[in-house]
Amino acid sequence: MKKRKVLVIDDERGFTKMVKLNLEAAGDYEVKIQNNPLDALQTAIEFIPDVILLDIIMPDLEGPDVVYQFKNNDLLKDVPVIFITANITKEEVDAQEGYIGGHAFLAKPGTIEELIACIEKQIKHLQ
Amino acid sequence: MKSQFDKKLRVLLVENSAVDCKVIDKMLQSSPYGRFESQFAGSLEQAFILLAKQNFDVVLLDLNVDDCTGLETLKRFHRKFPHMPVVVNTGSYQDDLGLKAITKGAQDYLIKGMYKSYVLVKSLYYAVERKKAEEELKGAYNKLQQTQTQLIQAEKMNVIGGLASGVAHEVKNPLATILYGVEYLNTALKSTDEKVVLTLESIKEAAKSANGIIKGLLDFASLTNLKKEPENINILIDQAVNLIRPQCERINVELKKDLQSDLPLIKIDCNRIKQVVVDLIVNALYAMSDGGCLVIRTYAKKFAEQDIGWVDKRSKSLIKGEDVVIVDFDDTGPGIKAEYLIKIFDPFFTTRRASGGIGLGLSIARTIMNSHGGVISLQNKQEGGAIARLIFKANKKGSL
Repeated sequence: MKKRKVLVIDDERGFTKMVKLNLEAAGDYEVKIQNNPLDALQTAIEFIPDVILLDIIMPDLEGPDVVYQFKNNDLLKDVPVIFITANITKEEVDAQEGYIGGHAFLAKPGTIEELIACIEKQIKHLQ
Repeated sequence: MKSQFDKKLRVLLVENSAVDCKVIDKMLQSSPYGRFESQFAGSLEQAFILLAKQNFDVVLLDLNVDDCTGLETLKRFHRKFPHMPVVVNTGSYQDDLGLKAITKGAQDYLIKGMYKSYVLVKSLYYAVERKKAEEELKGAYNKLQQTQTQLIQAEKMNVIGGLASGVAHEVKNPLATILYGVEYLNTALKSTDEKVVLTLESIKEAAKSANGIIKGLLDFASLTNLKKEPENINILIDQAVNLIRPQCERINVELKKDLQSDLPLIKIDCNRIKQVVVDLIVNALYAMSDGGCLVIRTYAKKFAEQDIGWVDKRSKSLIKGEDVVIVDFDDTGPGIKAEYLIKIFDPFFTTRRASGGIGLGLSIARTIMNSHGGVISLQNKQEGGAIARLIFKANKKGSL
C-alpha cells in the first residue's frame, strides 16, 4: 500500500517529532514536519500531503491563516486539514463529534490511536 | 388630613402601669383620627410572646417595664425585633434620652403627659412609615453591597480565567509531547523489563494527572460565562442518574429517586449543575464501595430558621421566607470524618489521592453553586451516613 503523506505544522518542536516517530512506527505514514508557519505553504506545495495536521496558536501566522493560504492554492485546496490544539478539551471535541465550524479537531494531549483514527477518517472522506 | 390615617393600626402597648395603659388606649379609641386595635404587655417577656404569635404594626414602648429599665429596654427589644417600628413612651424626662433612643433604633420619642391624642396618633402612623422607608433604604444598601461583592468576584474570575487558559495552553503542549513520547517508547522498545514498563506507565500517569489539574482549572475559569435558563431540576437529575446507574449496579448500590412533582423552576446553567449532581453521586458511590443505598430527594419549601445550619454564616445569598428548591443526596456510607468536614471544599483536598483524585471536584462544585446564588453543604446524619445538600433560589416566575 502506498504510504499516506502527513504534513505536521506546529511550532512545538518536541511534539512534531513525537508525531513523526509514532506515525512512522505505525508503518503506513510518511511524515514531514514544518515548525515555522511562515514556510508552511512552500513546504506543502513541495510535499503535496494527503492530510495536514495543523496547530492553531503559533507565532507570526496562526493556523486559520495557514488554512486560508491552502484554500487559495489549487494544489492544496482539497487536502483535508485536522486542527490539533491545546486550546480545547477532548470533551469539547467529542461533544461536537469531532468537528468544529466544519473542521476536524483533535485535542492535545490525546492518544496516537485517536490521531490515526482521525487521519484515516479524513483520507476516506476525500476518496 | 384624614386620608393618611385611614389604615387600621395594630398597636402593642408595652407598659407596666395599668392606669397609663387605660389612658393611652382611651386616647387612641376616642381620637377622631386613625383606627386602632391595641393589646397590652406589662413586661418585655410578655411582649416577645405576643409578638411571636400575632402581627402588630407598631409598638409603643415604655422604657421602665417589669423586667427591664431605661435604654436597655429599647436595646433588648430592638435586638429581638429589629424590623418592628417603635415609639418610645416614657415618664422619665432626661435631656438627651430622646436622641439616644432614636440612635438605638426608635422611630419617635414621647414623654407621658406631654402630648394630646393627635400627637400620639401622628407619631404612631409616622413611625410605621419611617420604619418602612428605613427598611427599604437598608434593603437597597444591602443589594448595593451584594452587587459590589459580585462585581469584585466577577473581576477576580475574569483574571483567573485569562490566566488559566494561558497556563493551560502552555502546559498541555509539553504534556502532549510527553504522552506521545511514552507511546512511541512503548512501541519501539516492546520491553518486557518490568522496571522499564513501570517507568513508562508512571510517566504516562503523571502526565495524565497534570492534564486533569489543567482541566479542573479550565472548568473553574469557564464559570465566567454561565448560560442560565429556568429549568426543572428533576429532569436534570434523571439524566445524571441514567449516566451513573450502570456504575451503581456494578458496586451494588441501590439508587432511589424521591422527586417532588410540580417543582418550581430554578435558573441554572444545565451543564454546570449536572456536573455538580454527577460529582455528588460519584462521591456518594465512593463512600459506599461495599454497597448501600443512595436516595436523591427534591422538594420545594420556604427557607426557614432550621435551614440556616446548612448555610455558610458569611453567605448572605439566602433569606428567611424565600422560596427555595432543595436537592438532597442521602447515603448510607460511613459518613465524613469531622477533621475532613472543615476542609472538604478546599481546592486540592482529597482522600482519594492514591486512586488519582485531584481534589477539585467539590471546590468547583461550590464555585458553581455560588455563581448560581445557591448553596452546597455536607453534613453527617446521626444514624450514620451523610447528606449532601444543594439549595437553589426558586425562579420568581415559577409556581410553588
